[in-house]
Parts: sequence; C-alpha cells; structure tokens
Amino acid sequence: MERTGAEQTRPQGQARQRISTLRWSVYVAMLLTAAAWGFILLDGDSGFGDLFRERTWQNAGRFVAGLAGAGTDGASSFAQPGRWLETGRLALNTLAMSVLAMGIAGGGALALLMPGARTVSDGTLGGSPSRAGRGVYAAVRVFYMLTRAIPELVWAMLIVFFLSPGILPGALALGIHNLGIVGRLTSEVVENLDPAPARALRAAGASGPKVLLYGVFPQALPMFLTFLLYRWEVVIRTTVVVGFLNAGGLGREFRLRMSWFHYDEVGLLLAWYLLLVVAVDVLSAQLRRRVRWE
Amino acid sequence: MNAVRPVRTGEQVVTPEPLITIKSAAKVYGQNRGLSPLSLGINAGERVALVGPSGSGKTTLLRLLAGSLVADGGAGAVRIDGRAPASLRPGPELAGLVGIVSQRFDLVPHLPALHNVLAGRLGYWSLARSVASLVWPLERRAARDALAQVGLADKINERPAHLSGGEQQRVAIARMMMQSPLVVLADEPVASLDPARAEEVMELLVGLTAAQNRTLIASLHTASLIRRHFTRVIGLRESRLQFDLPGEQLTDGILGELYDLGAGEDMEPLAGLAARDG
Repeated sequence: MERTGAEQTRPQGQARQRISTLRWSVYVAMLLTAAAWGFILLDGDSGFGDLFRERTWQNAGRFVAGLAGAGTDGASSFAQPGRWLETGRLALNTLAMSVLAMGIAGGGALALLMPGARTVSDGTLGGSPSRAGRGVYAAVRVFYMLTRAIPELVWAMLIVFFLSPGILPGALALGIHNLGIVGRLTSEVVENLDPAPARALRAAGASGPKVLLYGVFPQALPMFLTFLLYRWEVVIRTTVVVGFLNAGGLGREFRLRMSWFHYDEVGLLLAWYLLLVVAVDVLSAQLRRRVRWE
Repeated sequence: MNAVRPVRTGEQVVTPEPLITIKSAAKVYGQNRGLSPLSLGINAGERVALVGPSGSGKTTLLRLLAGSLVADGGAGAVRIDGRAPASLRPGPELAGLVGIVSQRFDLVPHLPALHNVLAGRLGYWSLARSVASLVWPLERRAARDALAQVGLADKINERPAHLSGGEQQRVAIARMMMQSPLVVLADEPVASLDPARAEEVMELLVGLTAAQNRTLIASLHTASLIRRHFTRVIGLRESRLQFDLPGEQLTDGILGELYDLGAGEDMEPLAGLAARDG
C-alpha cells in the first residue's frame, strides 16, 4: 500500500504506519463492496432481481417439494423399497468407481514413488546417480504435471469417447487425474525426508534398492496413504460430476432423471449420494487415524 | 604439500601386516583440505580414539575408512585386511569389513527397534530376503539377543521416537553388532549424550567390540573416556597428524593444547573466504 505524503512527514514509527495502511485497506474494501452491490442492483441484466421475484421462490419451493416426493403421480419413490434398492445399486456402482479410481491412482503413484523423487534419482538417498535415473525422474514429473493439469472432467470426456460408457471410464478419468496429485505430493514427501537414515543403511553395506526399501519406503508410506485417503473423499464427490458424462453411477442417472423431470427420483439419488459422502468421510477419517503411526 | 611425518611416540610394536594400512591418503574438497597426506597402520584389536577440533579431518578419515569417500590418490590408499573399502560394492564383503555408528544415531524413524537392528543384516541378505523381513522379521532371535546385550530387550517393538537419545544410540550399536564388521567406526558416538549416558554407551561400544575381538576407531573429545577405554589416541589438527600416543598417556594438557591451537587456526579458512569474496 502507498503511504500518503502527509503521513510520511510525520515522525511516528513503523507501527503507526502499519495501522494506517490497515485502515486504508478497510476503506478501500468497503468502497469496492458498495460499488459491486450497486452495480448488481442497478444493472438490469445481471438477473439479480430474479432472486426477489415471487415466481422464483414458488418454482424453487415446488422443486424442493418435488425432490422430497410431493406432487408425484401415484406413490413417491421414497415410499417404494424397490426404488431404494435400484438406486442403491447405482450408489454401490459409484462407490466401486471411486475405489477403482483410487486403486489406479494409488498403484500408479506407488510404482512411481521412487523414480519420481529427485533425491532418489540423484543418489542422495542411496542408489547411484545416473543419467537414466534423471531422465526417468524428468519423465515422471512431466507425466504428473500433465495428468494433474487436465481436470478429471476433461479426462472423462476424452475417455468416454473410446470406451463404452460405464464405471471404467469414470474410474480411469478420476484415477489418472489423482495419480498426478497423489504422486507429486508423495514424491515431495520423499524429497523432504532426512537422508541420514538412508546413508546409515548404505554404510551398513545395503545396496540401493534395500536402502530405499528400509530407509525411504517405511517413512513415505504413512503420508502416501494419508494423501490417498484424503483424495478418496474428494473423488467420491467428483464421481457424480464425472457420471454426468455417461460415465456411470449416480451422476449419470441424476442427469437423466433431471431431464425427465422425475424430481422425486432425483431426491432419492441425492439422498444416496449424501449417505455415500458421509460414509466415505467417516471411513477415511478412521483409516487415517490408524495410518498415523507416531 | 608437506611430506608425511608419522609421529610415533607410542609403545605398541607395529606388526609387519597391520589390519588397516593408510598410505599417504589425502582428500581435498574444492578449495578446502579435508585431509593432508596421512599414513597410519592400525592393528587388529586396537581401540583408537581420534581427537581434534571440528574440521581437523576426523570425519574425513572415518569416511575414507568406511569407503564412502575415495582418497585423492585412489581407493587403494586405504586398505583394510588387504581390501580397499571404497572400491567394494555394497554387499556382504563390505558389510563384513567395516561399519560406522554416527553421532546422530540415524535410525529409521518409522521402523521399530527390531527392524532397525535387523537393518544391520541388509548387507548380507538378498533383496528378496530383505523384502520378506520387512513383513516377517528374519533372524529375530539374533536381533533380540543384540538388543538384550545393549539392555533394551523390552524395547524391541518401540519406534525411535519413543526412545531416549542414549537408547537410540544403543539401538544403533545393536545394529552394528548385527552387521559385525572387522572394523567398527564411530563418528562422535557420544557427542549428543550427557556424561553419564556417554560413559554407558562408550562402555557398551568398547565392551562389545572387544568381546568380538573387533577393531574400534572412534572420534570423541573427552580425555577421561579416552584414557579409560582406548589403547591409542591420534590427534589431528588442520587436517594433519599432530600426535599418536597410547591412550593412557593422553593428558588434559595435551588435549587442551591441540584444541586451543586448533581454535585459532580454524578461523583461517573463513578469513580466506572473506578475503576472496571482498
């Protein structure tokens, strides 16, 4: 922030200047907020006025009632155990998709754990530095970057293009994207490890692979599992988004029922989805507590 | 470069074939001299203390002996039992020849004491056995014996984080016993321990190497520990050999002189650096 000339001439200390900077920031923030709201309220095209129209609220009310099962011809889906089972199977598919995705991400990241860490490829953690090792390291990092840079939604669009719709393309899309995320995080854990234990093992006559096995792997594994479980919580939510693209599970049905105006069924799917999310969050938290060894 | 001056005022008679022969071994790191050409012979069963201020070349000498550094003249400048450790690949031969215990213990934090002790066998095991042992520990009895000998039989499943500094160092010693090399090196093994713990650990280290008739070379700074436990003491300063005495002849005066002089001279490389930067 710029200080005003008047303040600069004053002989007060640093603290005074910082306080006036803070005060100015608050004024500017208030001004910006007022201007933004003014623009929204005055400009007719923003559609903001719709929020206050009675019709909007009536529509919303009808939709929510529809989700809850009101206004359906005959019995609502919520009252039919068969509908619960049917949509429950979709929930199970979604869960399977997320587990498969984590299998792909976890398996891949685990396989690339060592070659993807700079301290392994340059020999800091045992093993010997080689041009091949450095080349593989660079290739793994570029691979991580690409898989991470492309969102799971785009991966799904690409994969559904040549794989028949179902759980697999969704799982692949989620798996590939998360492989990049988990892989990079874990490789960075390995790079931040204290190299001293590995060096001690090397001094005890252990060869490169054994040094990695005893000195690096046990230290990296808990963090790797923790990352993987955190990502699982994100993935179970994203399965629905990927599902919109015909990639199977709850998401696909969600989109279909919406377009057929079967709101009670949409409500049922949402209920399953929420159950699934809560269950995965609880399970992940439990597992993470077990993983934290120390 | 100065000629080698082996200062031998000790009374030991050097046998024709010492276990360890160091012939004009030198190491220069860029602009800094790690070790000026040094020649030494160390017999089997000797317990040698290395003394000297920081930067005097103790660690360089130990790393040359461990084979993790190659002397400037080539790996052959340092030989143990006729073999050059720096030219050996990791494996049974190197593991059986020389091992090192460091100041920082260097245990693997996420593995229990049992696995940390068994890591001493990695040099002898095949990769398959090493993998198997991570899940189902092999040679469990030997590891338990080793831990019992350092007084940690009840800590077999404890992780290093739950052990005190002295206990961690004792696990490192148990690991060294599992490796059981001809020459045991120790780089300031008691530097981070309080005097009572230092005495305990030193007693263990010396007792166990003597029991297995191994040769011990350790760097440390305490005259009383050296007089009590070591047969020979080698003083280094400014990467050069200053004295080579029987352990019991080391006085606080000799040690003080070595360190005082060292402290003064130690400033020189820094001054040189500043001059170059300026």
